[in-house]
Amino acid sequence: MTRKSGAATGSLKPSENGKHVMIEKSNERILEVKELSVSYKTLHVLFDVSLEIQTGEVVVVVGRNGAGKTTLFRTVAGFLKQDSGTILFKGEDIGHLPSYEVALKGLKYIQQDKHVFADLTVRENLELGSYATKDYDWDRVLEHFPKLKTLMDRKGGNLSGGERQMLLMAQSLLGKPELVLMDEPTEGLAPHVIEDLKGAFKKISEQSTLVIIEQNLPLTAEVAHRVYAMKEGKIVAEVADKKEIQDLAFEKYL
Amino acid sequence: MDKLSRYLRGPLTLVVLIVIARYFFPNKMTFLVEITTFSIYIIANDILYGYMGMVSFGQPFYLGVGAYASAIYLAHIGNNILVAIALALLMGLIAGLILGPAFIRLRGDYFALINAATCAMGLFLVEKILYPITRGDDGLWYRSRMHATPLLDLRKPDQFFWFAMIVLFVVMIWYTWLDRSAMGASFRAIKVNENKMKFLGYDTFKIRWTGYTLMCILAALAGSMYAINYGFVNPSITEPARAAEVLVATLLGGAGSVYGPFFGTFAFLGLKDLVSTFVSRWELAVGVLTIIVCFKFSGGVWGTIQTIGAKIRSRGKASAQSAT
Amino acid sequence: MLELYISAVVFGLGISGILFLVSIGISIGFGLMRIVNMEQMVYYTFGAYLTFALVSATGSFVLGLICGTAAAAVAGFIVETQLLRKVYGKELMFTMVVTFSVFLIGIGIVQYVFGLASKPVGMPFHTIVHMLGAKIPLYRLMVFVIGMLVYVFINLMLNKTIAGKAIRAGIENPDQVRGLGINLGRIFTVTFVIASGLAGFGGALNSPLVGVTPYMGFDMLLFAFITVILGGLGSIKGTLVSALILGQVISVGGTIYAPLAFVGPFMVMFIVILFKPTGLYGVRGRAFGFEE
Repeated sequence: MTRKSGAATGSLKPSENGKHVMIEKSNERILEVKELSVSYKTLHVLFDVSLEIQTGEVVVVVGRNGAGKTTLFRTVAGFLKQDSGTILFKGEDIGHLPSYEVALKGLKYIQQDKHVFADLTVRENLELGSYATKDYDWDRVLEHFPKLKTLMDRKGGNLSGGERQMLLMAQSLLGKPELVLMDEPTEGLAPHVIEDLKGAFKKISEQSTLVIIEQNLPLTAEVAHRVYAMKEGKIVAEVADKKEIQDLAFEKYL
Repeated sequence: MDKLSRYLRGPLTLVVLIVIARYFFPNKMTFLVEITTFSIYIIANDILYGYMGMVSFGQPFYLGVGAYASAIYLAHIGNNILVAIALALLMGLIAGLILGPAFIRLRGDYFALINAATCAMGLFLVEKILYPITRGDDGLWYRSRMHATPLLDLRKPDQFFWFAMIVLFVVMIWYTWLDRSAMGASFRAIKVNENKMKFLGYDTFKIRWTGYTLMCILAALAGSMYAINYGFVNPSITEPARAAEVLVATLLGGAGSVYGPFFGTFAFLGLKDLVSTFVSRWELAVGVLTIIVCFKFSGGVWGTIQTIGAKIRSRGKASAQSAT
Repeated sequence: MLELYISAVVFGLGISGILFLVSIGISIGFGLMRIVNMEQMVYYTFGAYLTFALVSATGSFVLGLICGTAAAAVAGFIVETQLLRKVYGKELMFTMVVTFSVFLIGIGIVQYVFGLASKPVGMPFHTIVHMLGAKIPLYRLMVFVIGMLVYVFINLMLNKTIAGKAIRAGIENPDQVRGLGINLGRIFTVTFVIASGLAGFGGALNSPLVGVTPYMGFDMLLFAFITVILGGLGSIKGTLVSALILGQVISVGGTIYAPLAFVGPFMVMFIVILFKPTGLYGVRGRAFGFEE
């Protein structure tokens, strides 16, 4: 993995026990999306979307169904190719890279469907993630998901929605990604499960920058440093004021 | 009147071109009839593939349904050619109505392959099981049993040519109408997103069933035309191996367009004709050409013609503008 | 009478072995790469022809078997890396037409090199085993045993190696495998080379039983498709079970009433598909080409 010297200065430093890398909020931009346009065949979905994510932030993207949020994430993660525009990750253009290389560069994407490999056990699901990233430090990634440790031999297909989300989060932490994109992580989960996951969110956000698509507005208000509102394939508003976020001021843009 | 002429103009141009070709190249008449018949067969497949996005590997079966319906009638029961054609259409309709509900609920790949299996069953049926009726590989011969039809004597090749032109004209008008109608639109919508259609309250099962049945009827019509033109039928008409020809011709022409099937047929049969006069191993040549078409001319022959046409037109416009 | 059926069962087992070997590539191609690779039968034909050529030249069947398998694997490698990579993710119809064209080209090459006539391949050995009064050619039993060994080998690979686990995961959701940072393209190539090698191996093993003709792939293609559909797309276990069933339907069915050897497999597939549209071991929602 190549990183620009200087780009990371001060943003990353080892935690006290030396085990994780704690991340601090800084003004350095980890992700820059410039005038991104995307279409499916003849259907234009994203129109000149630009945004910036700073290292250590938790940014929430809100918007109605069909606003283009998932398309934005899938394009950034390399699953879709843009018609025009650039995607810079740590200053490097990743717009043309295949998805697996984007993942190896340290940008992980957790898809919306909460799909874990049903035919594989939890252990095998994790093994696949480790194989790709050469990161076998399972203690670190499972630390926040004690429940998973008891389910290692269960098939992915037999996990509950919350357990699947935990597995996906743990899997995404392998390779110490610097940026994690989560597409509606709490969708379809029971309130008490979401409560459980909140702690995990917090822990993950200490280790990497987080960008989340979320429909759950109270949760958004709780975790977000900054909010982007999308509508009809464009970013219509950016709310950075903590007070405004807590008052759900972005609701009016939806 | 104006609306009507929009549907008539294209098909009329096509038929007039073929008729002109017939007089310029009198010895190519059989080839032109072959193209006409085959293109109706390809239109049938295009409804299924180009519009609804369903791939079938067993199209020869539906051709065989029509061919054998006509042939069995002419060889064993009656002498009236028009009745034979009507029977073929009826058998196509029945096949569509009966097989449709079982087949169309299958998803893409299974649908493609169960058609291949049906086709193999059909071949087996006419080769072995129905031997007393179909005479198996010897085929059915009935030219002498066909009675003259009024106005056009379909037993005579040059008069059959005119009949084929009329059929092509009617089919092309209908096909042009389909392309612009709500039905055509709903076929396309199924191809793009079936679930959305369901949410919007459409009965997608019925739409697919309709399209499938239309395909059966058209393919049976083509089969019946083969049967009457040749005056005999043998099992090779339903050989599963020939299913590929249909797919190649459809793709060659440009799927899901009004004139794609005709130009695809023209290109495919023309190439095959041309290649087999120069080299005996047509497989190699057709394989290479198809791959080239697939990757370099993805819109097919008709799509490429349209693109070139659009380019010329826009260039014409640009030069007209620069002139002013 | 009993001897007749015993030998029919053993003949059927031999057929199952071949069907299994030639169908794996199609099954995995459906499941993992999401293409219909009709050109698998090219490798089957290549394997058989190379065996024919080497048996006629050197008299060594084992050498033919090895070279046939290797040639098929090399052909598979070339086709995958040069052509199929451009086809992944395209429409079903497109993949069918492209791979069918490759199939035609393969047949053309075989015709060009070896001519049109069908040719016999000598049996490596003619040992007859006596079993409950029935005379059984050992070679057919051996073909079956080899088929089973290949199944065990593939299963071990899929369940014990990381590449195998990636293949299983890729059959479920290829995008997610890539999202983990795995270069699925390389895994596709490896899988494809193994599958085409096995198809060639199947052709080599089958060549003494059926002889070689340029069109031998056409006949096998339909049966291979039936095997894959009946078993369920993407399921190796399903492919094995359906190969076992079809082998018996062809052999025992054909002994009872000759036409069943041809029509029986279709009938079995028909009935199963009508009641279970995804085949014996297929998973609902895994079929592609349409939104599920």
